[in-house]
Amino acid sequence: MTQPNRIGGGLIDRSKEIKFRFNDKHLKGFEGDTLASALLANGQRLVGRSFKYHRPRGIFTAGSEEPNALVQLRTGAHQEPNTRATMVELFDGLRATSQNHRGSLENDLMAVTDWLSPFLSAGFYYKTFMWPKAFWEKFYEPAIRSSAGLGRLSMKEDPDIYDKGFLHCDLLVIGAGPAGLAAALAAGRTGARVILADEDFQPGGRLTAETLEVDGMAGADWAAQAMAELAAMDNVRVMIRTTVYGAYDHGIYGALERCTDHLADSGGKPRQILWRIYSRRAVLAAGSTERPIAFGNNDRPGVMLAGAVRTYVNRFGVAPGREVAVFTNNDDGWRTAADLTEKGVHVRAVIDCRDRAAPVQLPDVRHIRGASVVDTVGRKGLKSITLTDGQVLPVDCLAVSGGWNPAVHLTCHQRGRPEWRDDINAFVPAGSLPVGMAVAGAANGSMTLAAALAEGRAQAEAQISDLGFTPVQAEAPNAEDEPHEGVAFWYVKESRKRAWLDQQNDVTVKDVKLSHREGYRSVELLKRYTTLGMATDQGKTANIPALAIMAECTGKSIPETGTTIFRPPYTPVPMGALAGRSRGKDFRPYRLTPSHKWAEEHGASFVNVGNWLRAEWYVQGDEKGWRDSVDREAKTTREKVGICDVTTLGKIDIKGRDAGAFLDKVYSNTFSTLKVGKVRYGLMLREDGICYDDGTTARLGENHYVMTTTTANAVLVFRRMEFARQCLWPNMDVHMISTTDGWAQFAVAGPKSRDLLRKVVDKEFDLSNEAFPFMGCGEITVCGGTPARLFRISFSGELAYEIAVPARYGNSMMGVLMEAGKEFGAAPYGTEALGVMRIEKGHATGNELNGQTTAYNIGLGKMVSQKKECIGNVLSQRPEMIREDAVRLMGFRPVDRSKKLIAGSHFINKGEDAVMENDQGWMTSVAFSPNLGHSIGLGFVKRGHERKGEIIRAVSPVHGTEMEVEIVSAHFVDPEGERLRG
Amino acid sequence: MAEYTLISAPPLAGVDQTHGDIRLTAPKDLAIVSVALPLGGEDAALKAVASGYGTDLPDVGKSAMAGEARLVRLGADQAFVLFQRAEPDAEKVVAGKLGDTAYLTDQTDTWCGLEISGPGSRTALERICPLDLHADAFAEHDAARTVMEHLGVIIIRTGQDSFLLLSASSSAGSFLHAVETSIKNVS
Repeated sequence: MTQPNRIGGGLIDRSKEIKFRFNDKHLKGFEGDTLASALLANGQRLVGRSFKYHRPRGIFTAGSEEPNALVQLRTGAHQEPNTRATMVELFDGLRATSQNHRGSLENDLMAVTDWLSPFLSAGFYYKTFMWPKAFWEKFYEPAIRSSAGLGRLSMKEDPDIYDKGFLHCDLLVIGAGPAGLAAALAAGRTGARVILADEDFQPGGRLTAETLEVDGMAGADWAAQAMAELAAMDNVRVMIRTTVYGAYDHGIYGALERCTDHLADSGGKPRQILWRIYSRRAVLAAGSTERPIAFGNNDRPGVMLAGAVRTYVNRFGVAPGREVAVFTNNDDGWRTAADLTEKGVHVRAVIDCRDRAAPVQLPDVRHIRGASVVDTVGRKGLKSITLTDGQVLPVDCLAVSGGWNPAVHLTCHQRGRPEWRDDINAFVPAGSLPVGMAVAGAANGSMTLAAALAEGRAQAEAQISDLGFTPVQAEAPNAEDEPHEGVAFWYVKESRKRAWLDQQNDVTVKDVKLSHREGYRSVELLKRYTTLGMATDQGKTANIPALAIMAECTGKSIPETGTTIFRPPYTPVPMGALAGRSRGKDFRPYRLTPSHKWAEEHGASFVNVGNWLRAEWYVQGDEKGWRDSVDREAKTTREKVGICDVTTLGKIDIKGRDAGAFLDKVYSNTFSTLKVGKVRYGLMLREDGICYDDGTTARLGENHYVMTTTTANAVLVFRRMEFARQCLWPNMDVHMISTTDGWAQFAVAGPKSRDLLRKVVDKEFDLSNEAFPFMGCGEITVCGGTPARLFRISFSGELAYEIAVPARYGNSMMGVLMEAGKEFGAAPYGTEALGVMRIEKGHATGNELNGQTTAYNIGLGKMVSQKKECIGNVLSQRPEMIREDAVRLMGFRPVDRSKKLIAGSHFINKGEDAVMENDQGWMTSVAFSPNLGHSIGLGFVKRGHERKGEIIRAVSPVHGTEMEVEIVSAHFVDPEGERLRG
Repeated sequence: MAEYTLISAPPLAGVDQTHGDIRLTAPKDLAIVSVALPLGGEDAALKAVASGYGTDLPDVGKSAMAGEARLVRLGADQAFVLFQRAEPDAEKVVAGKLGDTAYLTDQTDTWCGLEISGPGSRTALERICPLDLHADAFAEHDAARTVMEHLGVIIIRTGQDSFLLLSASSSAGSFLHAVETSIKNVS
C-alpha cells in the first residue's frame, strides 16, 4: 500500500504524484510535500542515527529547527550532507539516504556506543584521551572522527553555480506568517518598497498549519489571499525559500535564497543566491519554536513536537501515527488533540502535567491530569509510553508540547540580550535591537493569532510612518486569541532513563547536571562542555530547557542563570553560497597587459603579479627550463636590445599650478625644480620615515607631471596622494588621475635600443644623445602620427627608453617593436630577466623596500631633503633610524662561485655562532647573473658600506645551508653608469 | 609614409550580445576625457563648459547630454566628457571647447565601457551592483562610482532601462565576464 499514513485535506496537490527514494525504498508523495511529510506519509518513522550514541531517530519537528531528521540528499558530486528533511521540498526523482550508520539504518553496528553510554558522558573525551600524549593526533582523534560526525561530503568539486546580489527596500519583513503578512500588507499599501522573505516554500507560517480562521475563512486561504494582494503590488517583492540568516550593521541583512533546490536539475542557473539586503527599517516576524519536555527515552522515532504533529495533519494531510497521545504543559498541546480528532486520527489520551480542567472539551479523548510520561518503549519506533503512575499506553506517536520560544535569534546578532517573561515562560527580544528593527507577533511574545496580526500591522505602520509614509485605513482582520496558558515544566524528574535535551548532540538532562557538578555553570561553559546547542540546529529546541535545568541546579531563576545569545547564521549557509562566483579563475579579477595577446602567441609563461598576469619569460626554440630563457633574455638585452611590457607600473597624471610643490611634499626629494622635458627618480617615505615607494616622475609641462609607481603600490600611492591633496594640503591647486591602464608602456633596453626606436619614432624627433639625453622625456609621435611618450630611463642599467602609446595600440606596438628590432637581434623579456638585470644593477624593489627599511639603509639617505616639509622627513631622522651601525644595502657573491645564494639567508661574521645576537643582516634578492656567470645577491648588512671585500657567512637555518660570501658593491654591472648615459 | 602601422584594438571592441530581453554592447569608439576644475578657477571653467557645450556642468552624481557628448560630474572638481571619437586625440577635442580653463587628461584607453539595456537589465545588475538602481533612487542621467565583483565601476543611467558601465581597461575580461554572467543568470 502506498502512503499508508496519508489522510484527507492539506495544502498538497494530490493530482501531482512525485516519486522519490529513501535508501533503497521507492516511495511516492505529492507536490507540496516536504521529504519529512512524504516519509511520514509512507510510514517511515526511522530516518537517521544520532551523532554520538547512534540512537535510532525520527522526524521531530516540521521546520528549520529539526535536530534529528538529517539526510544526505542527491547523489554523486551533487550529494549534500546534513540536509533537514523537514526543509527539503519533494521533487520527482529525489534521492535521500540516511546518515551516520555502519551497515544498514535498521542495524547500525555503531549502535554499540549506546550501550557504552554510561562511560561516554559529557566531558568524556576531555578526561579520557589525555594519555599517552602522542596518541591524540595519531590514534584517538582519527578514531573519534571516523565514528562521530553525521553526513559525508562527496569530496568532489561542487558542480552547482551560486550567485550573490544586492537588494534595497524601505521595509524588510522577515517571516510570512500572520504577523509578517499583516506587516507587509500594511507597509505595501502605503507604496513603500517592501521585501517579504520567508524560509518556507509555502508562505503563511502557522496559518498553513492550523485550523484557526481569519476573517471567517481558513487561515491558509487568508494567507493565500494576502499573498495575492502583495504579489499584485509593484512595490513589494515576495521572496519565498529565502532565509534571512543574519542582521548586520546599518540595516543590512544577509539572506539565502534557495532557487533550484526544489528542482531535480538547476538548468544551468544558480542553485542559491546570497543576498545582501539594504533596508531602512525591518520587522522581524520570525514566529516561535516549540520546545520539548525531557523525559526518559523521549528521543524515539514517533515522539514529536505537538505543533509539528498538527502541521503534518493540517498542512500535509499526513497522520504521523494511528494511536497518538499528547503530553503537554500548556493549552496549545490540546489543539493538537483537537485537530487530530477532527481529522479522525485516534487520540488515546492527553497527558497534561497540570492538574486542572481541560481547556478544550474533547469528549472522546481521555484527559490524564497532573501526570507525566516517564519512559517509552520501541527502539526503532515508538510502541508505548509509561506514565508516572505506572500505566502503559500503547501509542505509535507522542506529541509533546513544552511551550513556545519566540525566535529571537536575529535580535541578538548585535549583542542584544533577550529578557525573560514569566507569563509565557520564555525569552523575548529586549535591550538594543539591531538599528531599525522592530519585532512583531510570536517572535515578540505575542503568542496568539489575533495579537500577532495586530502587532504585525502596528509595527509596520510605526516603522513606515517614521520614513514619512502614511498608513492606509483598512479593516483589521478578524481572528481569535486562542488559549495559550502554560506552566514552567521542563523535565520529568521521576524519569530514571536518559532524558534527551539536545537530540542533535545527544545531550541529556544528566549531562547538564554533570556539567553543573563539575563547575561548568555559566551557560557559555555549559554549551562548550556538553556541546549543547551546537551544530546545524544551534539548539533551537534544546537551549531553553537545558538552561532551565541549569537554573534549577544552581537554585537561581532562569534569567539569573543567563541566556546564550545568537550569532549569524540563523540556519546553515552552504560554503558554496558564501563563495558565490569567486572560484577557479574567477576567484579574483585578472588584469592583462596590452601586449598579452602577443605574448601568448610568442611562448610567454605568465605569472600573477597582484591581479596582473605578466610574462615572466618567453620560451624560444628548444629551451628546456626557465633559466635557459631568462639567461638568454638578460644577455640579449645587455648585448643587443630587449623589449619588456612595463605597463603594470602605476601611472598618475598630475596637473595644477601647485603640482611641483605638491610633489615636493609627497616625495622626499625635490621635483619643483625639475625642468620640463626631464625625468627624476623619486623616493616616498611613510609618515614614520620608513621607505614607502619609489619610481620616476617626468615633467611634461609647466603644470603637468607624470608619476610612475611600483606595480604593487600603484593604487596605494594614488590613494595616499588623494588623501594628502584633499586633507593635508587642500589649498593646493593639484589634480590627479590614474592613467595606468591608458598607456601601453614598453622598456626598450640595450645598446641597440636607440637604433631600434629611430625606426619607429617619427623622423621629426631627434633621439641623439645630445637632443634626448639620459633622464630626458617628451611627447612624440610614432608610426606616422600616433601620439606617444618617450622617457629615457633605465632599470636594467643599459642605454634604455620607455615608450608609451595609447593602450589600444599596445598589442600592435609590441609587434612593431619586435619587427623593427629584428635586424638588431631584439628579444622580448619578462619579469624574471627584468629582475636579474635590476639585481645586477643594484636597484631596490619590494624585497628591499619591505616596510622595514629606511632611505639610509638602501644608501639613499641623501635623497631625504631636510630643507623642506615633506611626508616622513622629520621622523626619518630619529636616532635609531640613522644609527651608524645600521644595515646598508650591498651586493654579495659566493666565495665559491659555483654556489647558489639563497634569499632570506642571514649574515653571520666568521667564527661566530649562528644565533640572533650575532645577526649581521639578511639577503633580500638573489639571481644567477648570466653576464657574470655566477650567483649574485643583494642584501642588508651592518655598516656594509665600510666592509667591501670582507668575507662573512650566509646562513639559512630554514634550508640548512651555510656558505661564505664576499661583500661587494651592489652595482655588479657598469658601476659608473656609462652605458645608460651612452 | 611611415614604415610601420599601429592597429587599434580596444579590449571590448565588438561586444554585442542579446540574452532574453537584455542586450549587452560595447559602445563604439567611446572617447573619455577627464576635466579637473582649477582651484580658484572654477567659475571660469564652468563658464567655459557652459559656452563650449551649451549646457551647465551637472551636479555631482549627475550627467547631462550636450549634443552627442555626455558630461558626467564625478566630484566637486572632477568631471568626465564622454563622446564618440575614433582618433587618439580626444583631449585635443575637449581642449578645443574649454581652452586652458580646466586641466584635461585623456582617459579613453584607461576605461572600457559596456552598455546594458532592456527590461531585465536592472534585475541583472542586482547580482553585482551594490547600489540601489530603482528609478526613484537612481534616475535617468544619474551617475555613481561603485564596485562590482571587486572592480571599480562608474555607472550611468542612460535611459529608463539602460545603463552605461565603465571599468578599468586592463581587467576588461573580468568585467565582461561579471556582467555577462549576471545577465545569463537572470535570463
